[in-house]
Amino acid sequence: MRLLVPACVLGLLLTGCLGPVPMPIGPLNGRIEALGANRDPALSGRWLALISGRGGREQVLLLDLDRQQPVPVPGLNRADAQPVSVSVDAAGERIALVRQLEGRTELVLYRRSLQSLQPIAMVPSGVPRQVQLQADGRQLAVQVSRGGLWQVDLVQIP
Amino acid sequence: MLSATSRQEPALSGQGRWLASVVERGGRATLLLQEQPSGRVVRLRHFQNHQPHSSPSLSWNGRYVAALVQQGNQRLPLIEDRATGALHRLPLPADRTAVRISLAPEGRRLAVQVAQGGQWRVQLFDLSNLLEPDLPGGIALQGGGLGTAP
Repeated sequence: MRLLVPACVLGLLLTGCLGPVPMPIGPLNGRIEALGANRDPALSGRWLALISGRGGREQVLLLDLDRQQPVPVPGLNRADAQPVSVSVDAAGERIALVRQLEGRTELVLYRRSLQSLQPIAMVPSGVPRQVQLQADGRQLAVQVSRGGLWQVDLVQIP
Repeated sequence: MLSATSRQEPALSGQGRWLASVVERGGRATLLLQEQPSGRVVRLRHFQNHQPHSSPSLSWNGRYVAALVQQGNQRLPLIEDRATGALHRLPLPADRTAVRISLAPEGRRLAVQVAQGGQWRVQLFDLSNLLEPDLPGGIALQGGGLGTAP
């Protein structure tokens, strides 16, 4: 709270002088902070997917921003997998994940209602690095290392 | 697969009509906005300079384009409103460096990953007093908005 008051005062001062400015969402940021060290945020609808680390291990978390708490994603995380990049659709139903597992880097699509994980093959073959799921959940944009170049694949999701 | 040139950090608008990505232009990482599936390049008013650009994201109908740019010695989130031409900056305190951002498709929130004190943190910002919502089924921007690149 001690941090919030100056932020609000600063915001009001800036608003008065310069017009509206983006304001930190204090209570939500406090809850996110409590999760540990976080990276690679992806917002869509009322959902925030991110990679969160604590005690030397990272995992994917999905937060419901309306309820201000994480929701279960059974089957998405594995203790022996290292998440690399994550994205969620606006319904909070589909999560795309690039992860390293057993020496390989792979792209998988998770369906929350089914708790299912489906591998997505790179064609032609390549190593995925970053993924973004468009908000309606129907297409993926994937940054792929292929032949010494970074390329972008667009992948339709059935 | 889109072209053979090096291209990174793809981001699609809500229904896939627009694709933002980062390409090398004159040795500098530069934001590129294209209409799909034609690949037509669309000019962005406020991203002509301040490279390197990184971490683009788009709103539902491609009205808002957000990315990190370089301003002086600071990485700064910028949001361009293609409907009005307005530019929105998000200054951050000097003790933290922006690493990645994500704009919510509706334009209501921005998530910023910062490096601070040797640790990564994610912070959310409320944009509701700054941006009109860009909702699914809203009016799609036609052509290049404020000007189409040759």
